[in-house]
Amino acid sequence: MNAEVISSGHLQLFPPSSNTRHCGSQLPFSGRASTGSIALKPRRRPGALRTTARAAVYAPTQTQAETFYDMLGISETGSISDIKKAYKQLARKYHPDVSPADRTEEYTKRFIEVQEAYETLADPQTRAVYDMNLGRGLHFAFSTGRRNERMDDVEEWKLRWQSQLDELRLWSMHRDNVSSAVRGKAAASPSSSWGSRMRRKRTDIYDLGFM
Amino acid sequence: MAISGAAIGLNKHMSPCLAAPRLHPCGRKQFFLKASASSGTSDGTEDGKMTIKKGKDGWKIDFSGEKPATPVLDTINYPAHMKNLSIHDLEQLAAELRAEIVHTVAKIGGHLSASLGVVELTVALHHVFNTPEDRIIWDVGHQAYPHKILTGRRSKMHTIRQTSGLAGFPKRDESVYDAFGAGHSSTSISAGLGMAVGRDLLGKNNNVISVIGDGAMTAGQAYEALNNAGFLDSNLIVILNDNKQVSLPTATLDGPATPVGALSSCLSKLQASPKFRQLREAAKSITKQIGPQAHEVAAKMDEYARGMVNASGSTLFEELGLYYIGPVDGHNVEDLVTIFQKVKRMPAPGPVLIHLVTEKGKGYPPAEAAADKMHGVVKFDPETGKQFKSKSPTLTYTQYFAESLIKEAEFDKKIVAIHAAMGGGTGLNYFQKIFPDRCFDVGIAEQHAVTFAAGLATEGLKPFCAIYSSFLQRGYDQVVHDVDLQKLPVRFAMDRAGLVGADGPTHCGAFDVAYMACLPNMVVMAPSDEAELMHMVATAAAIDDRPSCLRFPRGNGVGAILPPNNKGTPIELGKGRILKEGDRVAILGYGSIVQECLGAAEILKSHNILPTVADARFCKPLDGDLIKRLAKEHEILVTVEEGSIGGFGSHVAHFLSLTGILDGPIKLRSMVLPDRYIDHGSPKDQLEEAGLSAKHICGTVLSLLGRPQEALQLQ
Repeated sequence: MNAEVISSGHLQLFPPSSNTRHCGSQLPFSGRASTGSIALKPRRRPGALRTTARAAVYAPTQTQAETFYDMLGISETGSISDIKKAYKQLARKYHPDVSPADRTEEYTKRFIEVQEAYETLADPQTRAVYDMNLGRGLHFAFSTGRRNERMDDVEEWKLRWQSQLDELRLWSMHRDNVSSAVRGKAAASPSSSWGSRMRRKRTDIYDLGFM
Repeated sequence: MAISGAAIGLNKHMSPCLAAPRLHPCGRKQFFLKASASSGTSDGTEDGKMTIKKGKDGWKIDFSGEKPATPVLDTINYPAHMKNLSIHDLEQLAAELRAEIVHTVAKIGGHLSASLGVVELTVALHHVFNTPEDRIIWDVGHQAYPHKILTGRRSKMHTIRQTSGLAGFPKRDESVYDAFGAGHSSTSISAGLGMAVGRDLLGKNNNVISVIGDGAMTAGQAYEALNNAGFLDSNLIVILNDNKQVSLPTATLDGPATPVGALSSCLSKLQASPKFRQLREAAKSITKQIGPQAHEVAAKMDEYARGMVNASGSTLFEELGLYYIGPVDGHNVEDLVTIFQKVKRMPAPGPVLIHLVTEKGKGYPPAEAAADKMHGVVKFDPETGKQFKSKSPTLTYTQYFAESLIKEAEFDKKIVAIHAAMGGGTGLNYFQKIFPDRCFDVGIAEQHAVTFAAGLATEGLKPFCAIYSSFLQRGYDQVVHDVDLQKLPVRFAMDRAGLVGADGPTHCGAFDVAYMACLPNMVVMAPSDEAELMHMVATAAAIDDRPSCLRFPRGNGVGAILPPNNKGTPIELGKGRILKEGDRVAILGYGSIVQECLGAAEILKSHNILPTVADARFCKPLDGDLIKRLAKEHEILVTVEEGSIGGFGSHVAHFLSLTGILDGPIKLRSMVLPDRYIDHGSPKDQLEEAGLSAKHICGTVLSLLGRPQEALQLQ
């Protein structure tokens, strides 16, 4: 599924330790602690395949039960009607009343799983949360109980604002000199915005030794 | 916690809830050299008041009994004293601040829950930033209680909102730490931008932080400011304090109104889609690969990455040009401090918006549970949150207004009511309960409310705009241009007219007579008591060919006899009434000040003077016959109103001069509010300060009669 593709893609591109801050469940391979700063030397790890295999071993969640999307047999970007259709089909197939007599128990279990998958994915909010967990590699059977939802929210928020801060820091270091695509309104490119001009003037004064 | 070895050393750092180190009950004593609760001086007095402690789920404050000891807070007089506190100390400080606020407001009344929601924010801001060089602007003034406590005014907090005491809102005159006066919302970003630009022009280097709430974000001015801030690109930190109230929680009788518009769902949709996550990760990986050498490329990549990934979750703020950070848990001191420190260190962040999610009334269970979150309270019991509402024989003018409007609306299906996020304050929450489809809360948007009402009026409906007198100032152009110019029958019910007591000059409705009565098509009236109020509501409902307004004050009725069934009868336009017959002296009052005129008449009786007391009722159209009669039959005419110059008194003077009466022997005096802002205080004190009490009216009359000695002797 997509999540797996991305994760292994990550592993191939750069040292996995820089990934650990954001994908909490994946353990660092090389034992190097992540500081969250930019990796100075990007390199391709030799034996990419081996890496993937290791990932599979060390990131146990990925070899566990299938995702809800797998259960319903649809792609991760399936629309709500896809989900509904798949669910209806599978529900009809696995419903205890219509299951073959000798496999009732297995079918019932399947039915319950399918139902849980449908409940989670049909509600856009829970689906969003589930997808996010998927991105982090935590796609064990997700109980739809809204237990401590708020705490999960706060966790997600923290990751998000941490990355926002990092980006802002990067952005703010170069923005007054860069005449790049402007974010937000296309009024003036950053380097010629009023604020940029004033900031440059101030730093020029500093450079000239006036402060 | 590992106890191996170092047991002695550990004693200092054990968190208070683990073992039972007792704090000395009077925290200020000499045992506390360091302001930290974890310095467990096991002095071991048995009744140690361990009433603020950190549990597994956060800090627990015990609100029963006396105010708990506040060791950390006791060491803070100014924000400079907060610089060396650890995160744990800051958290404890926050808990102590909460206790302080609850106990203080419990004794004197005021705004409670707004302050409780921003305690952590205040602590974090003062810890990271260097006020007063760094400017902090509070948009919602009544959440500034923790700010005031931390900036040298703790000892005076018991005087807040009282005569000669602290103001209930930030006030520049009061302290150098109050960067800008607040009271009418949504102004903080504009002011902050002004301060930021001023700083840039002067070449200074301080930070400017504007704190604004989600309710205030429903006002247009906030967006005008954000738009400008994004364009100018000056360094500015905007903190959006989102407690999901959008509209005060007093909006309906059952609790907060559901968010009044699309904006609030915009705020709550700040979730990422799965694609967003994946794209972001990919983009990040690319930038990381490039490394620090390629500054420009990296910046460009980031630009693109964010532009791409934000497409789906891009918020209004990003589009306006602010860098959005959030949502953030607004009650986590550590997170807040981290974020502020990081942003402060950045050289050129430009305008940044940090979105905090907080809970109004947090940390005080009765407030968290109350439907109105204990937004504004009178004295209450800290343990239970129960307020000591004094029983009054009469209801407030607001309630009488709501009752009579409901009655009118029962008879006339076309009557609708509009307010601007003040359901509780205007009494329209009662109206909403009975006619939910005919009551409109537009958010803090007076300008829109007025034109919206004008639009309703064009369709033949009968809109009543209930907006406080001072808040209507914001929609004044709409009143002139959209309502009066086109002569649309919109009715304005201006509550809180005249002096308002504890809220002070920001909420004082001093100018509405002047600004309404100068409009050519407006009918301007003011009731002198609650029965008159009901009749005037009926009158307004009946005026269907031009706009009209009525003003009434804050406070309780005087005990007048109400019309049967609360249904008023329309008064003839431009007809006043005489309340007391007399001779030589005539006192003509406009509005509720007539009660003071009657009081003055009583005092004058003991000086052997029997004045005529009249109630003008209408400022426009003036009761010309009544005024002519009063002028012709008396030597002295005194007009009294609780408004600024340029109002009722001016209209009377103008009328008398036009009719030539002023050329005659009449002695005319107009008593108005003085030409300065009256500070907050009790209503009685304010009236004294303004010179409009019964005693002052007496004094005026006596001086005019040539008996100034007696005037001076009045006490």
